[in-house]
Amino acid sequence: MQIIKKTNLKGYKKALELGPGGIIDLLLRKNVTGRGGAGFPTGKKWEMVYQAKADKKYIICNADEGEPGTFKDKFIFLNNPEAVIEGILIAAHTIKTKNAIIYLRGEYEYLKDKIQGVINRVCKKLNSKVKIEIYLGAGAYVCGDETAIMESIENQRGHPRFKPPYPTIEGLYGKPTIINNVETFANVSLALAFDDYDSTLRLYSLSGNVSSPGIYELHYGIKMSDLVKLGKPKNKVKAIFFGCFGGCLPYSELPLTNENVCGQDCMLGANTIIVVDEKQSMVDVTTNIAKFYEFESCGKCTPCREGSMRVLALLQNISLGEATKKDFETLKELTEVIKESSFCGLGQTSMNHIITAIKYFEKEFLDKLK
Amino acid sequence: MKIYLDDKEIECDENKTILEIARENGLKIPSLCYQTGLKPEARCRLCLVEVNNRLIPSCATKPSEGMHISTKNEKVLRARRVNAELLMGHHIDKCEIQNEKHDLCTLISDIGIKEVRFDPKKEYQVDLGAAVVRDDNLCINCGRCVQVCADVQATYAIDFASRAHHEHVTPYCEKDLTEVACIKCGQCIAACPVRAISEREHLQDVLKALKDKNKHVIVQTAPSIRASLGEEFGMEPGSLVTGKMVAALRKCGFDKIFDTNLGADITIMEEASELLERVKKGGPFPMITTCCPAWIKFMEHFYHKYIPHMSSCKSPHEMLGTLTKKYYAPKANFKEKDVVVVSIMPCTAKKFESTRPEMDSGVDFVLTTREAARLIKHFKIDFVNLEDEDFDAALGISTGAATIFGATGGVMEAALRTGYELATGKKLGKIEFDQLRGLKGIKEGSIIINGLEVKFVAANGLHNAKEILKNKDKYHFIEIMACPGGCIGGGGQPLPVNEEIKQKRMNALYTDDANLKYRKSHENPIVKHLYDEFLDKPLSEKAHELLHTCYFERGL
Amino acid sequence: MFLLDKLRKAQDKDGFISEREFKRISKETGIPLAKVYGTATFYSMFHTKPQGKYIIEICNSPSCYVNGSLNIIKFIEKELGIKSNQTTKDGKFSLHICSCIGCCDQAPAMLLNKKVHGNLTKTKIKEIFKQCK
Repeated sequence: MQIIKKTNLKGYKKALELGPGGIIDLLLRKNVTGRGGAGFPTGKKWEMVYQAKADKKYIICNADEGEPGTFKDKFIFLNNPEAVIEGILIAAHTIKTKNAIIYLRGEYEYLKDKIQGVINRVCKKLNSKVKIEIYLGAGAYVCGDETAIMESIENQRGHPRFKPPYPTIEGLYGKPTIINNVETFANVSLALAFDDYDSTLRLYSLSGNVSSPGIYELHYGIKMSDLVKLGKPKNKVKAIFFGCFGGCLPYSELPLTNENVCGQDCMLGANTIIVVDEKQSMVDVTTNIAKFYEFESCGKCTPCREGSMRVLALLQNISLGEATKKDFETLKELTEVIKESSFCGLGQTSMNHIITAIKYFEKEFLDKLK
Repeated sequence: MKIYLDDKEIECDENKTILEIARENGLKIPSLCYQTGLKPEARCRLCLVEVNNRLIPSCATKPSEGMHISTKNEKVLRARRVNAELLMGHHIDKCEIQNEKHDLCTLISDIGIKEVRFDPKKEYQVDLGAAVVRDDNLCINCGRCVQVCADVQATYAIDFASRAHHEHVTPYCEKDLTEVACIKCGQCIAACPVRAISEREHLQDVLKALKDKNKHVIVQTAPSIRASLGEEFGMEPGSLVTGKMVAALRKCGFDKIFDTNLGADITIMEEASELLERVKKGGPFPMITTCCPAWIKFMEHFYHKYIPHMSSCKSPHEMLGTLTKKYYAPKANFKEKDVVVVSIMPCTAKKFESTRPEMDSGVDFVLTTREAARLIKHFKIDFVNLEDEDFDAALGISTGAATIFGATGGVMEAALRTGYELATGKKLGKIEFDQLRGLKGIKEGSIIINGLEVKFVAANGLHNAKEILKNKDKYHFIEIMACPGGCIGGGGQPLPVNEEIKQKRMNALYTDDANLKYRKSHENPIVKHLYDEFLDKPLSEKAHELLHTCYFERGL
Repeated sequence: MFLLDKLRKAQDKDGFISEREFKRISKETGIPLAKVYGTATFYSMFHTKPQGKYIIEICNSPSCYVNGSLNIIKFIEKELGIKSNQTTKDGKFSLHICSCIGCCDQAPAMLLNKKVHGNLTKTKIKEIFKQCK
């Protein structure tokens, strides 16, 4: 697997040779893109922070991997943590900062000592003065959002901020900030260390009704059926969910490209695939996901805070067979308004699972109405 | 900059938000969580407008050149309707019962929502306080109370806790307001767009007293009431309704109507004398005013090391309450226990103030301006068409210096009018201190008294108070009012309020001052009489016993 | 200064964040009490009520759900005699149903005092509880 190739810190040494401009060029040339889900060109993001004028700049490594079904960043920390630290140091060299924070989700506290050990070792080896601190989260899915993560680091409740301003201009403590996913930093090291770096490889978190769940490194655009077969599903597969946020699709041979997936009203994100087989009820699965959002909503804005609770209640009624056609119409209207009027990405994607489940499996819902 | 509002071309200021621009152009965009002058949070989502197929909050977005904004297309209206529906909760039943006309319920009827599809879910205990009552079941999580308590009042008594739909406003560890450092200023009440926070009611107690034939029930009215009460009856903000106010209260059945302004005049006599004493002794400076009980509680929690600087004077209504029971009652042949004193105040903190043990208060109940209006409406009195009546003469004559107490800077101005003349024996040329007037948070100036340049400053809003206290040693005399604008912006005043309304209320008071016969507290004939007959002189032993109080260190 | 660290240390000491600790942290950091409390209660891993010696955080997100987490949860509730957010009378166990803990390849999974236990079965649960002294 490319993701676990040891660079022996060659990437950092190359970075020193190239300097900030060269590093940014290389990242752009080699098509290194963000792996948190948005896929923004990493070189472009770093360039914006590099060019910003400020007395202090920051780096945040977003290790708040919280999307259900996602465990690729944990995999990287277990199998190639050096590449992540190296990537952070390369970023620090690019924007000339000594301040980096790894925001590690609280549920991964058992990884903290190992990561700290790697930080100490790598920084000592490279004689780096960069301060990489591990900040532990404490159980809040919304803190995976790039502005909520900054609020949390700044000792606040994790409510997302307005965008604009973007973190590249006004981020942590109001200063220009590079905020990237764990996998992104690892890819920066790999891209700089290896001439044959393949930017089309992706880490797929595969789980659900499969007997071989795990992290699969495959080329972007793999067919859904090919990916799912790797997981060896025991029963006939009904659908896949792109985490909770990306919606669901009926099982097919669709190549999983952003274009194809968006074209079907879903979002590929960070390549999380949860397999759901014929034994599962789509009503029950969406009710379970609705409970996730009812619990994880940050509470700031009306549609997500109040709406997620009402959506869950409606779905629970549907799954109990107590809902009417009118309730179903109310549910559909709510999902649209929540999607359109929520403050942040959490609320805006929180209803994709229902919208697509109704689009592709409406009969299962209608069969349960009074 | 040129933008398009619902396809109409508009020239606008690029530094204003879309919400401000739309309202300036007569477009009605609702908002619940936005507070003028404070940072927008865009929580309620009712102000959403559509730009480029996306719904964005107009309260927090500035326009860009050529922007096309839809403020009332189908998508916008649906989002507005559903989000308003989601907020209704317990307001469905509560508002019908109380016939409240607050922002959410007005919005529901404006939008034309016939049916609310979502049942109330919240089950919180109501926080019943001595002065401020909070009902979380009615809260819409707009955050305005939290913002005001933090950014305007620097008190931080409440904040959001928990997450998702469990998010609620609370003091730390789910305590009641009475158990934490809450100063009872009631600015949270003024900020709340849905009356989830209100004052502790004492209306029933007052009605009971009025019905009791054995009680001699006296009411006194603060300076601010005469400039604000009319608003509760549909009159223009800034209507000076002194005469109608007195007439209405007399019709309610109060046996005597006294004027808190007289109490204010006495406060000036005591406080100006206190200041001059300190000038003679060389300190302690600065001396800080104490008519604001919210400021006093704030000081006791956070700045108790300044206790030696505080004036020891009670507030005007407390002085008058004591004089009513100890001077008027025996003179009028009433037993003290048969006299009930009710104060009508623009303030919620005064409800707490009258319960302070060391205050030995002569005031039995405090009603806010809002409660007073409800009382008058209870007796179905046609307020607007009343003929003017006068206060009862016994303790009812006052001065212009007293009436301006209701405005920030007014106490200072009144004190200087008397302090200057008492100290120098000379008359002030111009008795209006313009540098102390207006809504500005911090106003300062100086005046030469017997060769000493007396430096004074008035702050309103406790965030501003904190600012001046950083440099307190450069002043001799500091006036602090907790409520922005002073008492006319108090937590017990008619709602809703804005800067324009506050300015109009202030103007009414300054106009009253300009037209009154007596404009300096020491020229009030009753004041002279009270000292001659009863108190002897300012700061006398009797004055200290009845008209002065003390303060304590309070924890956090 | 990272407030969440201070809150975590207080919780590691007492099993939960007590009123006394909120006051101490507020005084130490200068952050108002209401704000410290408000921040702590935002995060689901912080508890403001006393917890058992062993804190169970069991995942009920989709990957674990489609692998039968509900049955495991119901089993645990029966074994311990408590529901989510409750503590056993003997003070030994506290149960919390939580969101995805990133152990989707070992579903259904849980954290027991921050340690991962995956591929849970009723037998495995019984064994794990037996080891908890």
